[in-house]
Amino acid sequence: MLRFLWAVRRLLRVLIYALTTAIGLLAFLYPVIVSGQAASTPLLLAFVVGLSFVALLLEVQGDAVNAKFIALLGILTAMNAALRFAEVAIPGPGGFSPIFFLIIVTGYVYGGRFGFLLGALTMLVSALITGGVGPWLPYQILTAGWVGLSSPLLHPLTRWLRAEGCWTEVALLASFGLGWGLLYGALLNLSSWAFIVGPGAPMPATFRETVRLYGAFYVTTSLVWDLARGLGNVALTLAFGAPTLRALRRFHKRFSFTYRLQGP
Amino acid sequence: MIRLEHVTYTYPDAARPALRDVSLSIPAGAFALVVGTSGAGKSTLLRCLNGLVPHFSGGTLTGRVAVDGLDPVALAPRGMSRAVGFVFQDPEAQFVMDRVEDEIAFALENAAIPPQEMHVRVAEALAQLHLTPLRQRKLETLSGGEKQRVAIASALALRPRVLALDEPTSQLDPQSAVELLDALVRLSKALGLTVVLAEHRLERILPFVDRIIYLPDDGAPVLTGPPRDVLPHVPLLPPLQALARTLGWSPLPLTLEEGRCFSTDLTNQADLLIPLKPVQSVEKKAPVLETHGLEVAYGSTTALRGVDVALYPREIVALLGRNGAGKTTLLKCLVGLLRPRRGEMLVEGRSIAKTDVADVCRQVGYLPQDPNALLFADTVLDELHITLHNHGIPVGDAPIAPEILLERLGLRDKIQQYPRDLSVGERQRVALGAIMVTQPRVLLLDEPTRGLDYRAKAQLLDLLRNWRAEGLAILLVTHDVELIAETADRVVVLDQGEIVAQGRPAEVLRASLTFTPQIAHLFPDRDWLTVEDALAGIRNATASTRA
Amino acid sequence: MLHAAAWFVWLTAALIAVSTTRNPLYLTLALAVFMTTVYVIRRPGETYAAPLAPGRFALYVIPLAAFINALLSRVGETILFAIPQTWPLIGGPITAEALVYGALNGLLLTALFTAFAALNLAVPIRDLIRFIPRAFYPVAIVASIAVTFAPATLRQMQQIREAQAIRGHRMRRLRDWLPLFMPLLTGGLERALQLAEAMASRGFASETAQIHTGRTQAVSIVGLLGILSGGLLTAWQQASWGVALIVGGSLTIATALWLTGRSVPHTTYRRTPWGYREWLVTGGALVAIAGFLSWGEATRAYNPYPILTWPAFDALAGTALLGFLLPALVVE
Repeated sequence: MLRFLWAVRRLLRVLIYALTTAIGLLAFLYPVIVSGQAASTPLLLAFVVGLSFVALLLEVQGDAVNAKFIALLGILTAMNAALRFAEVAIPGPGGFSPIFFLIIVTGYVYGGRFGFLLGALTMLVSALITGGVGPWLPYQILTAGWVGLSSPLLHPLTRWLRAEGCWTEVALLASFGLGWGLLYGALLNLSSWAFIVGPGAPMPATFRETVRLYGAFYVTTSLVWDLARGLGNVALTLAFGAPTLRALRRFHKRFSFTYRLQGP
Repeated sequence: MIRLEHVTYTYPDAARPALRDVSLSIPAGAFALVVGTSGAGKSTLLRCLNGLVPHFSGGTLTGRVAVDGLDPVALAPRGMSRAVGFVFQDPEAQFVMDRVEDEIAFALENAAIPPQEMHVRVAEALAQLHLTPLRQRKLETLSGGEKQRVAIASALALRPRVLALDEPTSQLDPQSAVELLDALVRLSKALGLTVVLAEHRLERILPFVDRIIYLPDDGAPVLTGPPRDVLPHVPLLPPLQALARTLGWSPLPLTLEEGRCFSTDLTNQADLLIPLKPVQSVEKKAPVLETHGLEVAYGSTTALRGVDVALYPREIVALLGRNGAGKTTLLKCLVGLLRPRRGEMLVEGRSIAKTDVADVCRQVGYLPQDPNALLFADTVLDELHITLHNHGIPVGDAPIAPEILLERLGLRDKIQQYPRDLSVGERQRVALGAIMVTQPRVLLLDEPTRGLDYRAKAQLLDLLRNWRAEGLAILLVTHDVELIAETADRVVVLDQGEIVAQGRPAEVLRASLTFTPQIAHLFPDRDWLTVEDALAGIRNATASTRA
Repeated sequence: MLHAAAWFVWLTAALIAVSTTRNPLYLTLALAVFMTTVYVIRRPGETYAAPLAPGRFALYVIPLAAFINALLSRVGETILFAIPQTWPLIGGPITAEALVYGALNGLLLTALFTAFAALNLAVPIRDLIRFIPRAFYPVAIVASIAVTFAPATLRQMQQIREAQAIRGHRMRRLRDWLPLFMPLLTGGLERALQLAEAMASRGFASETAQIHTGRTQAVSIVGLLGILSGGLLTAWQQASWGVALIVGGSLTIATALWLTGRSVPHTTYRRTPWGYREWLVTGGALVAIAGFLSWGEATRAYNPYPILTWPAFDALAGTALLGFLLPALVVE
């Protein structure tokens, strides 16, 4: 009976992940799919993204009322937010951002929930500290959260390649960082597309035309930045990945167990 | 009030139990002190009281624990929070909130106390610890002592009957430590709390304690009882009690006043001669490190002014001074982390004013206050290799072979261990190894004995004395007068950025009111600073009176 | 200091007002109002300032938006100049209408940004965190810890840098950041354990507690389905049904939040009082948006295509916008 309930809960959780991803994608792609939008659409989209994030957060946070989890998340968020502060204060090349490295690696070692929360909260807390709260924040939070949430997807690959603990694992994480570096930029661009390009941009009849147009937009505005971000992730992962994985795994044991009462 | 029956606890993955068959009881209203070396189980014992062991740490616990009628193992820390308040060692890692008030209210919020009641309790906790003027302050602006007081206030907000403190003063300077302990004693009397405290530096707290729990580290059974019964069995004691035990003073004095009764008797009985310390012929060698007219400023404030200091080989110099006097500034300047505004610094005759830190540190070793900031390798041996690598020295060409150095440091069997898993004293010695592997001529130490127990302190002193004999010049910044009494050849006192006194420990320490060792308090007219001095002096006198 | 909720009402009203119009006159007026507010409430030396002043933001964004739109949107009658068609992607006429439309978008963005900047300046971080709904109590605690420890992390970084320097470490390549990063990471992990102990000792739940039940999960799913279908419908031109579904979905999710919040045993210590100032600000914002939406009904929309015309302006609607100035007037 207990197993059944647990399986049902798990199914519900997957369903929530799927739905919020779908909504998020819809919101991101909306301006590309639909022509003739009203002036208030961008804000509505941001609201919808925010809402689905709220639902996702509710789910992810569900099991996390645990002092160790929260203390660890808090301290790592502080560290990551401090890194982001350094990024804002000392701009690196293009879109280079040191925060994704920790998000990916902790998501990989400590699980999707942790990665999601670290990503989302890094964005939130650093926005609070640097005063960068704005209409782009829900998109940033959701996307950074997705980065962390998706890291554990590498586990089957690592297991299949039997790469635990050797540099292949680090290489996998590095390429993951490259991919997300580009994808993050692409997704955020989609969101700002709605803000910048209005009706009157010739919405072509075919979907393919729109994609071509968006491709042009993307290449002109942000490809370089996203490449810098992706390559930055690769560099950081290759340089710091192995020792960080070791340190995180060493502490994993102390953080994640529950005490079961001994019998009389 | 507190009762442990046949408690045995083993940490997960540990070879031996941390607590073995411990049975003790502490009556309500007692002020109990837990004594033992690092690793003997003091922290473990305290954490049994509120359920952190075993709920937080895992492992296996057998036996019964009862605190105020409650079972910590069944209730877990959350359930025990209303019965037991806990204060930890590090003031930096206990706080969740920003302001003093909010931090104290955190515990109350968790317990879902109604808002009006919360306001009352917060005000009460603030008043008890004299924190009311600080109530709106941000926590990061407070001193260490004030932060620990806030920690106590937050623990007391839930009105527990038991207060457990795990080395609350070990990160504080002596003044703040004394204030904190005074506040604690006063509070426990006023509120009728049962206090269980673990401490290394016994001299500050012994006068107020009515029960001692001694955890021997060789697995012998735990000793509990009134101080005078248990103390004679504790190997390492503060100077007053050590002297009293050797001379057979009975009843064992716990305070300096009690000690003075015995010591004045002694000085009245026999006319004790001042022992002639063998005057070391001071071979005036060339100084290894010297400064002339050093002046350092932070922005518009001058931290150091006109500082002339010289360090010679084969000596240990202690640097004394109150907080903010400029001691750490001087050390940082000597190693090159700070550039002076004016003045000269010479190492073996060559100026280092323009030299990079990375180069200076080959000749001038510096151990910072927190050696944890140094350690990041996977094994102890790697730490030494990393320093060599930084300097571009191949391992084979090292001035001293790393393994040999580690053996001298007493870490031979820990070579392959992860440094951050070691005890505080061992970590410090690993850091020392990482610095000394280039065989510098000078060693600067910033508060090395903070947080060390007596045994680790003794090990460190042995190490320093050995290095001194080999020709090293050592400069120690410390608040610990007993340490100075035992090791220093020379004392320099710094106040508000200037040197106000220099000389032999006996002269400088007796001339100052705040920095006097216990033995000097007992025998005010003598030149004695340590237990050995006193014993030697008394034997000399007895011998000469007989003769 | 104003209650944070009053500021949130103000912000929401401001955002809605601004995003319903593309009329440059209204937009400029709104922007001026917001900028005045920012100017008045900003105190010298505040640590939580927006990284970019609104003026500089405008200087970057408006021309950029104009430029991008001009490249992508070739509609319009007033052709300024033409880039030869042979150039890939950007070939074609550059029209004034497209420039103006892009600039209007940029203006809109700047107005949004400035409104947010006002909120950032007015409400301290702690109060913003306090505003996180009770359902997200763990998240609020994490944010609180992060904000508390972020400055400590920077200080720790400095300490570590010195400690590594005195063993000969030099910063040359990327790999040389490792001795700075690793002690920071492991020190942070150790500190997290200590912090967790301290929190547990003060009654914070030390074992995993379930505040998110199957029931709330189900409610969330219903809400999400509503939003998704509403979104799809709107995309397929069934706007009225779509919006209704989205609203329904939002309310359902709000219910899930409320249900979760109820199961968190927790009370709040600090209460900012709600006084006449808060009423004034909230009232002013609501009047402003009501007035603007109704009086500006006819003149709100503005389309520079197909040919540039001078925008219309309704004095009453413009005056309504001044309602957003109230915070600047009542601040101490």
